[in-house]
Amino acid sequence: MSPQHHPSDDVLTGYVAGALEPGFGLVAAAHIEVCAHCRARVGAFEAASGAALEALPQETISRDALSNVLARLDAPAQPINVDYRSFVERLPLKPKKWLAPGVWVAGVNTPHAPQNRVYLLSVAAGGLTARHEHSGAEFCTVLSGAYRDELGLFAAGDFAAAEGDLNHQPVVQGDEACVCLFATEGRLKPQGLLGRLAFAYADV
Amino acid sequence: MHDRVEDTDETLLARVARGDRDAFARIFSAYAGKVKGYLLRLGAPAAAAEDLAQDAMVAIWRRAASFDATKAKASTWIFVIARNAWIDKLRREKTELAYRSIVIVTEESDDESPDDATMRGETEEQVSAAMSLLSEEQQQVVRLSFFEDRPHSEIAERLSLPLGTVKSRLRLALIKLRAHWEQYK
Repeated sequence: MSPQHHPSDDVLTGYVAGALEPGFGLVAAAHIEVCAHCRARVGAFEAASGAALEALPQETISRDALSNVLARLDAPAQPINVDYRSFVERLPLKPKKWLAPGVWVAGVNTPHAPQNRVYLLSVAAGGLTARHEHSGAEFCTVLSGAYRDELGLFAAGDFAAAEGDLNHQPVVQGDEACVCLFATEGRLKPQGLLGRLAFAYADV
Repeated sequence: MHDRVEDTDETLLARVARGDRDAFARIFSAYAGKVKGYLLRLGAPAAAAEDLAQDAMVAIWRRAASFDATKAKASTWIFVIARNAWIDKLRREKTELAYRSIVIVTEESDDESPDDATMRGETEEQVSAAMSLLSEEQQQVVRLSFFEDRPHSEIAERLSLPLGTVKSRLRLALIKLRAHWEQYK
């Protein structure tokens, strides 16, 4: 089934321009990889950017630029290793930690994005998460399973962006654990002492 | 022989993929200055834009085999290469900054407080069970750090403790709590 919830054009153009925070770009990429609709839009935005590049005036470049570059062409090219594993398998995950029965979290190593918190969260079938508010931006792509909240049903591949004003209570749907990839901005406020301790322990 | 009049950027790239340096020089003269202009517009300083534009041109040579004229125009493909060169540069800088902040600013800024109250069954019993594992002193730093959300430096000041002591107490507290969390497995 193809995803039903997509990033806005603002998110996709930011992705194409390379302007998203790296952790957020990763969550958007998780959706785009499985969404033909958004891949087509990304392709269109890239083509528009290519046309804009073509239309730019030529900036003066240094006189020896071409000879510099030509001299570098002889250097043995580093082999390009294409990684054929799926998106999730390529994520540099920290060890999985259990927070509560049926709930685990695994941080994603993003040394290039120290301000973003990126992590996988899995909640078992039938799981109910605490009602919570967002104090900053959050991107989420569902990797498997499904959940429902006030905004609708979110299944594998679906993308959700939350701003500070969203207050919701997601409930896992179906027989399968719901695994989501999150990026959250800066420091968010967990709901209480146990939440903070648990996430500190999980190191996400 | 090639009919040069009909060469498009797309056919030039196909020739670059076969190692044709003349074709590469023509792509270079058509795009190097535009790629530099694009990088300047993104906010790259002039010298960095020049270097990155040269890097991007080298990348065009190396990756030309992956260009597929049925999927994208040459300008689109070159845009993607230039953009990725820019993202890689930002990433390298951020990574370096991240490591620098670990070395110099150290744990002042490492408040480990991610978010998301996805906790299920967060009950009073669970909290007190977890906390009862800790000594009075550990409970104090844990409360200040994770509940009141105070930076380590402020906790040290409030308790008149060296910063290192606050950190080691927190670390020991978390190690003790590990046993508690592991039971949920």
